[in-house]
Amino acid sequence: MSVVVPRRGAPGAAGAIAAEHARSRRRRRLRGLGKHAFLIVVTFLLVAPFYYVILASFKNSTEIFTYPPKLLPIPPFVGNYQKLLGDTGFLRWMFNTLFVAGTVTLIKVFVDSMAGYALAKLDLTGKRLIFVLMLILLMVPLGALIVPLWALVSAMGLTNTYLALILPPLANPLGVFLMRQFILGLPRDLENAGRLDGLTEFGIYRRIVLPLIKPGLVVLAVIIFTDQFMSFVWPLIATSSDNLQVLTVGVAALRSHGGADYGLWSAAAVMSLVPIAVFFFVLQRQFLARSLAGALKQ
Amino acid sequence: MALGTEIAGGGRTRSMRLSPDQHRRLRRQARIRRELTAWMFLGPMFLFFVVFLVVPVVGTVWWSTQSGGIVSGTKSVGLQNFQRLPELVGATNAIQNTLTFALLSIPPILIGALAIALVLARIGRGAAVYRFFVYFPVLVPGVVAGLIWLFLTNVDFGLFNEVLRFLGLQPVTWLGGGSALGVLAALDVWRNVGYWAIFFVAAIIGLPEELYQAADLDGAPPVKRFWYLTLPLLRRILFFAIVVSTIWGLQVFDTALVLTNGGPGTSTTTIIFRVWQYVFGSNDKVGFAAAISLVLIVAILTLTLTQMRLLRSRRGGD
Repeated sequence: MSVVVPRRGAPGAAGAIAAEHARSRRRRRLRGLGKHAFLIVVTFLLVAPFYYVILASFKNSTEIFTYPPKLLPIPPFVGNYQKLLGDTGFLRWMFNTLFVAGTVTLIKVFVDSMAGYALAKLDLTGKRLIFVLMLILLMVPLGALIVPLWALVSAMGLTNTYLALILPPLANPLGVFLMRQFILGLPRDLENAGRLDGLTEFGIYRRIVLPLIKPGLVVLAVIIFTDQFMSFVWPLIATSSDNLQVLTVGVAALRSHGGADYGLWSAAAVMSLVPIAVFFFVLQRQFLARSLAGALKQ
Repeated sequence: MALGTEIAGGGRTRSMRLSPDQHRRLRRQARIRRELTAWMFLGPMFLFFVVFLVVPVVGTVWWSTQSGGIVSGTKSVGLQNFQRLPELVGATNAIQNTLTFALLSIPPILIGALAIALVLARIGRGAAVYRFFVYFPVLVPGVVAGLIWLFLTNVDFGLFNEVLRFLGLQPVTWLGGGSALGVLAALDVWRNVGYWAIFFVAAIIGLPEELYQAADLDGAPPVKRFWYLTLPLLRRILFFAIVVSTIWGLQVFDTALVLTNGGPGTSTTTIIFRVWQYVFGSNDKVGFAAAISLVLIVAILTLTLTQMRLLRSRRGGD
C-alpha cells in the first residue's frame, strides 16, 4: 500500500492541487476496498468452521467420509437431529441450562445492583476494603476452587440439586463493579430529591436508580447469562445425575461415552448454538458491550 | 436535621433543644441506622461473595495441607504436598502444558485482534455485519468449540486436510503428539480473537481525534501513525488485555477435554484438567488437587495485583 500522503500547502497551480485531490481520493477508495477485503477474509476464516459443521450435521455416516465433500447438503439428512432429540437427553440439558442461567441472571441482577448502589452511594465503614477485596478475587475462577467448593456444597447437602449449580456462580463480583460504575454516574440531586419527597433508601433504589440504569442492567444480564450458558467446570463437578446435566456437560458426555458418532456430535454442536445465536441477534449491542465491561475494571 | 423545632406527639409538646451529649448519641444512632441500611443493600451479594469465593480461596490453602480424599477423610501433612508436587506424575507436566498453551495462544490473539480492530474501527459501511461475525465465535461454549474443531482436525474428512488435499499436499495428523497443543491454541485464537477485537475497537474509537488530525497535517503515513500514536495511546489497554487474556489462558480445560481428552499421552493435560483428574480419577489425591489449584490461584492473584498496581501508578504519571 502506498504511504505517500500529499502535503497540504505545497506550492503548485490550482489544477495540480485538484489532480492531487482526485488521486488521493482514489487512493482512499482503494484503501477502503483493501479494508473490506481484509475483513471479508477474517470473517470467512472465523465462520467457515460453523458452515462445515452445519454441513456435516445434514450428512449421514457415509456421506461424511465422501471426498470431495458436498458443499451443499442436498438432499438434507435429518437422522442426526432425530437421534439427538429422540435418543439423548438434549432437550432436558437445554432446559437445565436455560433454567439455571436464567435463575442466576435474575438473582445476580438484583443483588449486584443493590450492592453496587451501596458501594456507590451509601455510607459504609470499610467500603474501600470490601471493594478492593472483591477486585483482588475478581479473576479467581470456579475451576480453581473445585476442591473446597465441592466439600462445601456436599457439607450443605446440596450435591445433585439445582441449588448446587445456582449458588456458587452468585459469588462473582464483576457485576457489582459494573453496577457501581453505572450508579456513580447518576447525579446526586436525583436521589436527594427522592429523599426530600420522603422515599426510603429502598424506594430511591427501586423508583429512581433502577429505572435510570436499565441499559446497564440489560448489559449485566447478558454478561451473566452468557457466562452461565458457557460454564462447564463447576456443573461438571457439581452434578452426577443425568437429570441435572446442563448443556455443556451433556454434550461433553456425548463425546466421551460410546464410540465416535460424528453425525450426532455435529447435530449437538449446531443445536447448542441456537439459543445463544438468537439472543445475540436480538441484543447485539448489549452483547458487544460484554467485551467492554472489562475496561471498567481499570 | 430538625433540631430546635417543635414536635407534636401524643398531645404533649416538647422542646428539641439537645444537650451536646444527646446530640452525639443521636448522631451515632443515625449513623448506625445508615450503616445498617447500607449493609442491607450490600448484604446478600456480600454473603454469596464470602461463602462461595472468600471461604473457598482460604479453604484451598487448608486443603492443600491435607492428604486423603474428600469422602474418605483426610489428615494433615503440612507442606508435604508442595514438596512432592514436582515429582508427582503429571503436575509439572500440566503446568508446563498450560504455560506453553498461553504462550502459543495469547500473542496471536492480541496481535490479530489489534489488526482487526484497527481496520474495523475505521470502516463505514457494513461495520455491524462484520462485528456480528467477528464476535460470534466468542459465544461458543468451549465444549461445543471442541466438538466443532473435531470436524476441522479429523484426519479423514476434517476441513484442514480437505484443504490440504485440494492443494495437492499430504494430510496431517493434527491432533498428534507434536501438534495437539498448538491446535488447542489455534482453537483459542479462533474463539477469543473477536472478544479482544471488539474491546480494542472501543478503545481506538475513544482516542483523541485531534492528535490524528495533527498527524494528518504533518503527513504522517499510517504505519508511523500506528507506531508513534495509536500504540503508545493504547499502552494501558494493551497491558490490561495481556494480563486478562493470560489469566483466562491459564484456565484452559473444556476445549482440551473435548478435543483431545488431554492427549495424546498427557500432551494437552492442563492444570485444571489435572485438578479434575486428581479429585475424580483417584480417591486419595485431593491434597494434591488443592496444592496445584493453589499454584494457579497464586499466579492469578499475582497477575491481578501487578495490574492493579501498574495501572494505578501510571494513572498518576500520565
